[in-house]
Amino acid sequence: MQGVLAVFPQLDAVCDAIRDLKAKKVPKVTVYSPTIQHEIDDAIDAPTSVVRVFTLIGASLGVTFGYWVSIWSSQYWPLQVGGKAIASWIPYTIMGFEMFVMVGCLSTVAGMFINAQIPRLVTNFGYDKRFTHGDYGIWIETTPDKFADLEKTLKAHGAVEVRGER
Amino acid sequence: MATTAKPVVGKIKRPNIPSAGIQVPAVTTFEQVDNEILATLKPSPKWFMGLGLAIAAMLVGASAWTYQIYWGLGNAGYVPPVMWGVYIITFVFWVGIGHAGTLISAILYLFRAGFRTTIYRASEAMTVFAVMTAGLFPIIHIGRPWKFFWLIPYPNWRLLFPQFKSPLLWDVFAISTYLTISTTFLYLGLIPDFAVMRDKETNPIRKRIFAMLSLGWKNTDREWRHFAKMYMFLAAFSTPLVLSVHSVVSFDFAMALTPGWHTTIFPPYFVGGAIFSGFAMVWTILIPIRKWWHLEHYVTLNHLDATAKVVLFTSIMVGCGYLSEFFIAWFSGVAPEQEYFWNRVFGQWWWSAWILLLCNMVFPLSLFSQKLRRNPTWLFILSIIINIGMWYERFVIVVPSLSHEFEPWQWTHYTPSWIDMCFLVGSFGWFFMWFLLFIKQMPVIAIAEVKEIVPPKMKNDHGGHH
Repeated sequence: MQGVLAVFPQLDAVCDAIRDLKAKKVPKVTVYSPTIQHEIDDAIDAPTSVVRVFTLIGASLGVTFGYWVSIWSSQYWPLQVGGKAIASWIPYTIMGFEMFVMVGCLSTVAGMFINAQIPRLVTNFGYDKRFTHGDYGIWIETTPDKFADLEKTLKAHGAVEVRGER
Repeated sequence: MATTAKPVVGKIKRPNIPSAGIQVPAVTTFEQVDNEILATLKPSPKWFMGLGLAIAAMLVGASAWTYQIYWGLGNAGYVPPVMWGVYIITFVFWVGIGHAGTLISAILYLFRAGFRTTIYRASEAMTVFAVMTAGLFPIIHIGRPWKFFWLIPYPNWRLLFPQFKSPLLWDVFAISTYLTISTTFLYLGLIPDFAVMRDKETNPIRKRIFAMLSLGWKNTDREWRHFAKMYMFLAAFSTPLVLSVHSVVSFDFAMALTPGWHTTIFPPYFVGGAIFSGFAMVWTILIPIRKWWHLEHYVTLNHLDATAKVVLFTSIMVGCGYLSEFFIAWFSGVAPEQEYFWNRVFGQWWWSAWILLLCNMVFPLSLFSQKLRRNPTWLFILSIIINIGMWYERFVIVVPSLSHEFEPWQWTHYTPSWIDMCFLVGSFGWFFMWFLLFIKQMPVIAIAEVKEIVPPKMKNDHGGHH
């Protein structure tokens, strides 16, 4: 993997750089920010996260399992109590609900891990420690012949450091 | 360094100082956030002293457990028909304490309540450790703790499955779901902060540990986008979960025909009480932390004021619950119910009922005073009063009902044994031991979230943020 890494101290500077890179149709751009910044979200204009699909699937499986395990075990070991229903859906709603929450949450977390591509074993490439503290960054995965052009663009928007990594 | 974000100067404004959109004006840069919050991780003599006390208290409980396992459950102070005592009281007490954390991190997140930002991490940790503490008591109470896994439905050689119509099994599901989700919530919120610690750390072993815990988090736009969506969904799931857990715990009582238990008001009354006691415990742990680690400009008086309003509201809510119970007993015309409630307040158990009424209904009314809501010393004292009151609330629910049921010849007394009291002391030791260890290894205030409310550096400063 090779590319250009730029460090920006100011939020509006990195947003301007993102918009410019988008206008120039530069592909494979990654933006770093010490925290969630809506200005960066607006500048990137990324599609909505697909984590919700994992949530829907997990929660549906969970609620199904919660009801199923209660009903199945009641049918398998029936307890006859004065004509009352052997499988009673009202108390089993508690099982359904708890499993709905548990599996729904865990599948949401799995969705986040898969889509955010974590856990990650290597963090020292295309990255700078300053991005967890206070600075913003842009990493562009590209070939060395485009380094000079990109460096010029990024510096024009206020990057305090631009370096090629290969 | 400012000690408060918005000090009250001169006469207090009426009717109120707005506390919903709370900012931290004394915190101005991201570097300040990193440095000040990470500075809390350095151990101090006070911390070592607190940890020593907690471990000593925990060992008292551990010794009692060892003794009980050897000599049997008969050493607990149970006298038929009072077969639930301190164990179940303390179980419900700790589950209740565990409610504030997820309420603050999930419900207040969905409501966009600004005052949650600097207090939610400590509250979430409190929740996890409180539920861990609560979970011990049913295991202690079964007498043969090594058989506890029989409650979990799994294919087994006994060819038996648990009874899904039993409220005690609902508890197993509710508490284990709550513990899993609260722990997940706590850990996921910590990931961006672990990345900060990884990049700041100089000790290679600790750096490696933080690198593993941070899962290689790099603060990319992709990570934040999916993280934000996940966090919102977790908050949305946790909101009904918070309300359901103590409702399910209340079913342990409400499903029985015992006088004082068989009432439909229990779920909301239990949830209100849980939030009430949970917020009180948040004060018990946060007020000393903000003072000893000089975090008054993060957990400001405005934050405390906002939490005091929640406590006041939930105090009134549980107060209405207490009064409704008396009204329903009178209105129902059921003699055992009426007799039981009379006995609770003017009979055998009058002292415990009046402790509860004073601590939970009367003292919290002081929070109508804005001056007291913004007085950390009073809030700390009140938090202890409320915690005592809420333990007694559970005592009043459990013991008077069982000792004064339908048959007068069965009426009896209950006195906790020394084993019971050792478990109570041990539970506090166990809880505070984990909490104190937590605050020295992980940031007690969420670094990444505080940065969200700090104005970022701008090339073209327009004088505003967001």
